Amino acid sequence: MVTRGTLIYIGQRLVLIAVTVLVTSFGVFAVVHSLPGSAFVSEKVHGAALASLLHQYGLDRPIPVQYWDFFRGAIHGDLGQSLVIRGEEITPLVLRELTVSMELGGAALLITIGMGMLFGVIAAIRQNTWVDYTLTTFAVIGYSVPSFVIATLFLLIFGLWLQDITNGTFYYPIGWTGTYGTLAELSVPAVALGLYTSGQVTRITRAAMLDVVQQDYIRTARAKGLKTPVITLRHALRNALIPVTSILGPLVVSILVGVVVIENIFGIPGLGKEFVSSILRHDYNVAVGVFTIFAILIGFSNLIVDLLYTAIDPRIRY
Amino acid sequence: MATTVVPGIADYSPGGVLVREQVSLWRDGWRRLRRNRLSLVAVVYLGLIIVMAVVSFFWTPYGPNNIGVCQTYETPSPQHFFGCDELGRDSLSRLMAGTQVTLAEGIGCAFIALVAGVVIGLMAGFFRGIVDAALSLLINIFYGIPPLLVALVLYVLLGASLLNIIIAISATLWMDMARLVRGQTLSLREREFVEAARASGAKSGKILFGHIFPNALGPIIVQGTFVIPGAVLTGAFLSFLGVGVPAPQADWGGMAQEGVNAIRLVTHIVMFPSIALSLTLLAFNFFGDGLRDAFDPRQKR
Repeated sequence: MVTRGTLIYIGQRLVLIAVTVLVTSFGVFAVVHSLPGSAFVSEKVHGAALASLLHQYGLDRPIPVQYWDFFRGAIHGDLGQSLVIRGEEITPLVLRELTVSMELGGAALLITIGMGMLFGVIAAIRQNTWVDYTLTTFAVIGYSVPSFVIATLFLLIFGLWLQDITNGTFYYPIGWTGTYGTLAELSVPAVALGLYTSGQVTRITRAAMLDVVQQDYIRTARAKGLKTPVITLRHALRNALIPVTSILGPLVVSILVGVVVIENIFGIPGLGKEFVSSILRHDYNVAVGVFTIFAILIGFSNLIVDLLYTAIDPRIRY
Repeated sequence: MATTVVPGIADYSPGGVLVREQVSLWRDGWRRLRRNRLSLVAVVYLGLIIVMAVVSFFWTPYGPNNIGVCQTYETPSPQHFFGCDELGRDSLSRLMAGTQVTLAEGIGCAFIALVAGVVIGLMAGFFRGIVDAALSLLINIFYGIPPLLVALVLYVLLGASLLNIIIAISATLWMDMARLVRGQTLSLREREFVEAARASGAKSGKILFGHIFPNALGPIIVQGTFVIPGAVLTGAFLSFLGVGVPAPQADWGGMAQEGVNAIRLVTHIVMFPSIALSLTLLAFNFFGDGLRDAFDPRQKR
C-alpha cells in the first residue's frame, strides 16, 4: 500500500541519498586531488611540459571549481575522462564494470540468503541436535573466516589441485571486457563472497524461527490440524523473515565491500578492482566516478531494504 | 531453606530472611562468562595471542625482518617451523610479530570507536532536538559510504603508518556504537533515577557520565567487543589489498597476500597467516558471544 506517508518517507530518503552522494563525492574528490604526486607521475614529465599537461586537463584550477565542473558533467551522466588511459570515457567504463560487479554481488546475495535461511530453518527445526550444532558452528566459522581466506582456499582447490578438471574455466580471461561472465566463472567467486555473510543469515534465521514457534498463532495453527511443513513455511518462516530483513542492509554493504576484495583476488574486471587500482595510480576521475557509483548503490539498496520491510511486516509504517 | 541466595534478585523465602546478594556488574558478568565453555577457550586463545605479541617484542626465533636467514620459499622444517617467504625471512617469526599489528588494530579501533561512539551517542540521545538531528545525519551519511572505501581513501590521505590505519578503520566502525548509545540514552533519560538526579541539582555532564553511561555499560561493552573482530578483518583486508602497514613490518593480511602471489609455487606461506587470522577472528567472535550472554542477558541470540 503506497500511502502519502510512504511517499514522503521515500522523498526524505532520496534527499538523504543525494546529500550523502554529494558529500562523499566531494570528499573523495578533494582528497584524491590533494594527494602528493599527479596522475602523470609515470610519464616522467616535468616543468613546463607537466604544467601544460595539468592545464590541458584543468587540474591547475582550484578544487571547488574543478568539482563544480565534475558535478555539472555528472548530473548529465558524464563522469569525465580517465587521466591515465587518455581519452577513455569513464561513464561507459564504469557502467560496464558495474554490470560485472552487480552480477557477482547479486549471485552472492542469492547464495547468502538462500543458503543462510535454509540452514537457519533446518537448525531451528532440529534445535539442540547434532544437525543444529553442526550448522551453527558452520555459521560462526562462516562469518569469522575472512572472505579472502575462503577465496584463497578456492583458488587453491579449483585453480591448483583440480586444475585438470576446471581447466581454468573459473578465471576471467586477462583483458576481458565483456559484461557477463559464464556460470563457471561466476560460481566460485560468488560462493566465496556469499559464504561469509550467509553465516549471519543462518544465525538470525535460526534465532527468529525459535522465537516465532513459541508464539500463540503457531499453537493455533497446530490446533487447527495444519501439517508441520505448512506451519513452518507459511506461518513461522514468514514472520521469521522480519529480523532477517533487518540485517539485509548491512548485508548488502558487506557484500559490496567483499566485492572489492574478491574481484582483486580472482582478477574480475569489476568496480571493486577498478577502485583500488585507480586510487593507487592517481586516476582521480575514475576513482571519484567509481566511489560515487558505490555510494549511490548503497543508498538505494538501503532504501529498497527499508521498503521491503513494510511489504513483509504490514505493521511497520513510515 | 533458611536463606536462599538468588543473585541480583530480591528473594523472599517463607520463614527465612529477605536476602539479596550484592554483585557488581563485573563479578556477575564474569560468573556467567565462565559457564560458557567455548568462550573460555576463546579467552585462553586470546590470552596466548597477547602473550605472543608481548614476547615478539623481545624475542622471535629469527629477526622477523631479517632477510636471507633461509632459502627463498623454504618449506617447513625443524629449523623453520612455518617455512620461509619470498625474501628468505622466517615465517614463524613474522607470524609472531604480526600479532602486534593485529592486536593494535583491534584494540586501538575498539578504543576510538568506543570513545567517539559513546560521546556522539550520548550527546545525540541526551540533548535531542537539533543536536540529535545533526549527529544522526552524520551517522547516516557514514552508513551510506562503503566502509572499505572510506578506509582506503583516508589511508591514502593520511599516509602509511599503523596509527593512520587505525584511525582510518575506526572511521568506518564507530556508527554502530553511536547508534546503540543514542538509543540507550533516549530510553534511560526518561527513567526515574535520572529525574531524581536532575531534581537533586546534578549538571548535564554529571547525569550523562555519572548516571546514564554506567547504566548503558553492558551493551556498550558487548558492542565494543564486536568492534575488535571487525577492525582486525578490515585491517587484514587493507593489507591484503596492498595498502596496509608499511613494509617491512609483518602483518597477517600482508603475509597472506604474499602467499597468494606465490600460490603456484608453495602453499605454506598463505596457509599459516590465513589460519592464524581465522582462528583469532573466531576467538573474538566466540568471546563476544559469551560476553553478550554475560552482560546483556535481556538480549537473545
